[in-house]
Amino acid sequence: MSLDERLDDVLDVLGHSGFDEVEVFAKRGRSRTVRFGRDLQVGSLRQEEGWAVRAGDRRRSFFYCSSGNPNPDTPWPEADGRGLRLPSSLPVPSWSPAPDVDSSICGESEATTLFEGLARELDRELPGTKILRGLLEDGAAEQQIVSSREIRQASHQRLATLYLEVIAQRSQARFALQVAERSARAFQPAVIAQRMVDRLLIAERGGSTLRDRGDFLLAPPVMIALLAGLADLFIGPEAEKRLAAMARSGAAIGSKFLSLVDHGRLPGGLLDRPVDGEGLPTREIVLVEEGVLRQPLLAWHEAVAPARPSGCARRPGWRDLPEPGPTHFFLRPAAEQSVAGLLGGLARGYYLIGTTGPVKVEALGKRFAVPVDGYALEKGRATSAIHQAWLVGQTSSLFHGLVAVARDLSFQMARGGMIGAPSTLVRGLELRGQS
Amino acid sequence: MPFENLEIPVIARALAQLMEQPEDLADLYLERLEEIELPPEDASPGLRVRRESGLAVRLLRGNRSWLAGRDTISPESFNDALRRVVRTMPRLPFPHLDFRPDRFTEPPEAEEVLLFPGLFQQALRAHRLDLAGRLRVRRYRRWVKVISPQQATGVENENFYELRFDAGPVRVNLLLSFLDELAADQLARAVLRAHRAKDAEPVAWRGPCVLGPAAVGVLLHEAVAHALEADILAQGGHPEAAVGVRLGSPLLHIYDDPTSAPPGVRRAWDDEGFPTIRRYLVRGGLVEQPIADAYWARRSDFLVAGSGRRGDRHEPPGPRSSHLELLPGELGPTEINASADGGLYFPEVERGRLDPLTGELTLRFPYGLRLQDQTPGAPVGPCTLRGRIADLLERVTGIGREVRSAGAGWCAKDGLKMPVWASAPEVLFDQLEILP
Repeated sequence: MSLDERLDDVLDVLGHSGFDEVEVFAKRGRSRTVRFGRDLQVGSLRQEEGWAVRAGDRRRSFFYCSSGNPNPDTPWPEADGRGLRLPSSLPVPSWSPAPDVDSSICGESEATTLFEGLARELDRELPGTKILRGLLEDGAAEQQIVSSREIRQASHQRLATLYLEVIAQRSQARFALQVAERSARAFQPAVIAQRMVDRLLIAERGGSTLRDRGDFLLAPPVMIALLAGLADLFIGPEAEKRLAAMARSGAAIGSKFLSLVDHGRLPGGLLDRPVDGEGLPTREIVLVEEGVLRQPLLAWHEAVAPARPSGCARRPGWRDLPEPGPTHFFLRPAAEQSVAGLLGGLARGYYLIGTTGPVKVEALGKRFAVPVDGYALEKGRATSAIHQAWLVGQTSSLFHGLVAVARDLSFQMARGGMIGAPSTLVRGLELRGQS
Repeated sequence: MPFENLEIPVIARALAQLMEQPEDLADLYLERLEEIELPPEDASPGLRVRRESGLAVRLLRGNRSWLAGRDTISPESFNDALRRVVRTMPRLPFPHLDFRPDRFTEPPEAEEVLLFPGLFQQALRAHRLDLAGRLRVRRYRRWVKVISPQQATGVENENFYELRFDAGPVRVNLLLSFLDELAADQLARAVLRAHRAKDAEPVAWRGPCVLGPAAVGVLLHEAVAHALEADILAQGGHPEAAVGVRLGSPLLHIYDDPTSAPPGVRRAWDDEGFPTIRRYLVRGGLVEQPIADAYWARRSDFLVAGSGRRGDRHEPPGPRSSHLELLPGELGPTEINASADGGLYFPEVERGRLDPLTGELTLRFPYGLRLQDQTPGAPVGPCTLRGRIADLLERVTGIGREVRSAGAGWCAKDGLKMPVWASAPEVLFDQLEILP
């Protein structure tokens, strides 16, 4: 029996049991995981399959999920609590999956070769540098969803992630990094090693006793971390009220360089897909345009015209209920602006290239602090390294203090989605030795 | 009872075929999980049920391990997993299996979960607390069996509850092995304490402090259990080198003992099929027996297996604690509080973290209570304790004589969520530095 038929059988059974609203979701996946440690290397091949049901009517509902194949003879739970409403089907614009979405997952020997390559490149860049821990996951998954509201959609994904924790022998400085690609074969050991060693060298040489204001050039990882920490500000119907507090003059919540977009079908995006976790079409939504809030990120049941549903219901697995969240959430770059141009234009300031810990967000998103690494700059040249200083400020100062963005947009996995930003020049923040 | 109709001798024979070298270890891990959640009243959908079952075949050879996990328990999924682990001999003939696929047949029911919100409301009223909030009640059940060529364990069964209450700044999470009027009262008391402390200002403090049993549970987990896990110790050298090292005050006697955990979460076998043991972690402040799983025990004449735990069937086992016990001292509650008069009392910890390489421990307290006239009184706001493990544990100057069971909460080492339990008395510290 095909998966389609099984989904329909469950839909029928529950429909005949008196539930007006029924949704059946199934996901199957296959992945290779290789854990690389100083002592033990573990290779796992996991084959996962599971399904989930949301069923209910105006007065009652339940959620049931299970491993294995959808089974209409399941002993269902008693429905209770609140009623359930499901979305109606919407036309899905044409969709072409990325060409590499069907590539095979990597073999264990390929994974081992990747780690050996990384170890070699790390040692070449900074002799004595060792991998403390590595975790490579390379997987493919397909999901199908049908509902009593005429939704019938399928999509598939392909994603590889690499987590690496390294230590420099001489200084015992450590650095951890997580990167993502469509397939494990796309990871480039030399590039990753160089990026990690840059950070180890800062950790070895940098200090953080300063306290200063000025111009800050934030490399993509820093701005991405800030956007990830502040993403909640832009989600849900309460977002407009929250963001109104950021307005300084007129309705603008930020400078003209603040343009934020969420795009579930971003061409080339690692999480691109035609429909979201509830089977609704994904789309590009401009949340903030040149400093002006256009609309928050809204689930279908939260959107009231003129706002549109964002197609942003995330459903990481069959165990999870759908919930709105960022898909590819990013600060729009400026195609004409190079990073070198921004660096060269800095008479005095700081180039912050990465974070060393999570962003702290306080007072319902009004203030933030993030530990950072980077360089002090004078006339566009680095004068000293800075390690584990804290970039702190008001969120409104960050948004209004954006004075330029570059074209080097890049993405990282965060908050269950992909968060992206280019290098960004900001004024009005503060660098401190402590948070 | 799950896993009843398996053909164990045939499975054992098939696993034996994986083993080519004398030190090889091969096993089949069988797992069933059930979660039943009653969400807050305003949430949709209503009752939420997760049921899953699956298996994993593992081969451990030298310092390599191969694992293949499947989301069904059937002869086909077992055979497929075996073949994925064998890799080099995909056509190796395995014995024919014919057991019935394992699946849930009973409807999901959890009456105690459905009744709990009513009990909790009664308990709030009994404490004269009128506070609207969102309550989530979840029951976890897990059945595990491990089969190796040498033996098959019995079916291990865990049953416990997670309670979450959220009323804006008042947030309480509890992990309990029971769900009744006592649990409702325990949650109501925790909510009451958090409610009274919600507007309290954080303080900086250097001086005597007392940690309540629940806070001690987290301290033991972070500062002792993680620090003595063989894989963590190996980051700094050989795990055996820790034996005999002073970890803290001579007053400290600490065990990890899954066999004496609260009913419902007690374990006789670990997730690798080894018998669990009463492991003397710290004797009089000195490290006695680090926490090891089969891999680490095989590499050492000194380490003993029995603490291998798995996040789920798709994850390899690792050395983890289950139920920590701090042996009682001689101080009564009044004596402890009198010794710390003017100091701070911390009933619970919001989160804890150990940096395995530096040995730095961080505990975040949601609030504290000022000890006045031998009684925990005025609340202080959220604050942090930070320091090296040995420095902190050396400052233990008294241990209470009343041991209480304290669900230490969820451990998230390596991203794998596992419940950990503790039984502990109150502990008196001399001269702790608390930061706002």
